[in-house]
Amino acid sequence: MTETTQGTPGIERADGRQIETIHVSRFARFRTIAITVLNLGVFFVLWEVVARAEVINPLFFPKAGDMFAALFNGFADGTIWPQLSHSLTNFLIGLAISAVIGIPVGLLMGASKVADLILSPYVWAMTSLPRVALIPLLILIMGFGNAMQLTIIVLSAVFPIMVNCMAGVKTVEPSLIRAGEVFGANRPQIYLKVILPYTLPFVIAGVNQGIARGLVGMLIGELLGGGGNGLGYLLDKAGEQFDAPMLYATLILLAVMSVGLVQAMRWLEQRAAPWRDIARA
Amino acid sequence: MGHVEAHHAPGALRAVSDESPEPALIEALHVTAGYENRRELTRLIALRDVSLQVRRGEFLAIVGPSGCGKTTFINLIAGFVKPTEGSVRVRGSEVAGPGADRAMVFQDYALLPWRTVERNIRFAMENRRGHVPKSAQAGRVARALELVGLTGFEKSYPHELSGGMRQRVGIARALVTEPEILLMDEPFGAVDAMTREAMQAELEKIIAETRQTVVFITHSIDEAILLADRIVVISKRPGTIREVIDVDLPRPRFDEQADVQRSPRFGEIRSHLWSLLADEALGAKQAAR
Repeated sequence: MTETTQGTPGIERADGRQIETIHVSRFARFRTIAITVLNLGVFFVLWEVVARAEVINPLFFPKAGDMFAALFNGFADGTIWPQLSHSLTNFLIGLAISAVIGIPVGLLMGASKVADLILSPYVWAMTSLPRVALIPLLILIMGFGNAMQLTIIVLSAVFPIMVNCMAGVKTVEPSLIRAGEVFGANRPQIYLKVILPYTLPFVIAGVNQGIARGLVGMLIGELLGGGGNGLGYLLDKAGEQFDAPMLYATLILLAVMSVGLVQAMRWLEQRAAPWRDIARA
Repeated sequence: MGHVEAHHAPGALRAVSDESPEPALIEALHVTAGYENRRELTRLIALRDVSLQVRRGEFLAIVGPSGCGKTTFINLIAGFVKPTEGSVRVRGSEVAGPGADRAMVFQDYALLPWRTVERNIRFAMENRRGHVPKSAQAGRVARALELVGLTGFEKSYPHELSGGMRQRVGIARALVTEPEILLMDEPFGAVDAMTREAMQAELEKIIAETRQTVVFITHSIDEAILLADRIVVISKRPGTIREVIDVDLPRPRFDEQADVQRSPRFGEIRSHLWSLLADEALGAKQAAR
């Protein structure tokens, strides 16, 4: 790039790239938000209309308005918040423990054939085993307490994290490792400067899967563990009392919680590996 | 480093060394190398009994059909692969692994995608302690970038650059430590034809300035003739040296006036190489089926 042929006012960067200002309608920026709000609005209105028509038994299908009322009242009279905070705290602690165990072990399995050979039968067995099957054993060992609920979250989340980290290390381009060797990097430097940054997107993908599996673990721990707290307990109680609005309100809370976590991870992923997204496109 | 491998006969060393009075910078003596397959308990022989010397300041091109062990040869010099027989020496001492005296340019560029151009080039200087003093590094980066014509792109990421520009970064990274030996494994194999020609011309100019010893792998006959002082033709697997050809064309070869590409001598060397490689290429294709 050498010359500007048109006299457009622009900023020329040091690398010769020219950047011009463009004009986009002010509405465009809010379009996605507007569409989402409209979309959800229509959804709840339709829900309300269908429920009022009572084509479905109101025992299973409450009005959207009643659901929101239950949600509001639940927060107001303090039935929801302690349970939500219990679940959220438990979940985040469990996820943190899973990451602290899963990431290093996964990286080790990817890097060392021996470690992979020794650990992989157990890891794969635990990854494919349905988590619910462990509940009776865990109750036997730990009773109905918090420890059991936390353990099931960790057991659910740790293995997907591990497996993804392992896969990440195995996909590192061999020529990048060779480049590391040629330019004088020793083993620790190659791990730190080549393998780890390359694996980062896989680590994040692993944590994403860990979140999904961990949420399931959290719920089954609370539903079947009978600890008397958490969102699972709230669901259980609402079901027993035929309190459909409360049941739906809790489900909505769970959906918001998981979408929030996934979005947070997506944000993190874009910050952590901007090169990966563009390389794919 | 420095210990002598006992595999080859002592007489062999003398026989090869006698050819030139000046000791060779790189020396391969009856090298056989291959890749083990531990599951099938076999070893695929990539190179068999290859003896070759590279003089200081020489530009050596290696051509041959795909899968002939060209890359194995460069990997032996780089120190990634150890010969199963024979020895590879640099300045008279056995290659024990990668070293600061040798740098490599990779076919797929091998740039760290999460690092800017500048930090990719710095990578070559930051691992070996005290190799290049910290205070000199910024100046070195600037000079390397100037050499490859990428001044101004310090803060760009590899994914923002074209293939040709990425390889310029790869070359700058290899040059920044001023290594004695530059190993280039089909460096222009992945860039488009137009860029390729421009980069060949630039490489000639750069090497004329830096005076490195270059071992250059290519499967393009024209590229080999245009760049090299000598061309080694390797036969198909297991690779052995078929012929070594001196390219006695004047330099600079990318000068418009000289028009080396249309000189009768260029045509002679070209058709000779073609006749050598034609049957090899056909053979390799049949073997691949």
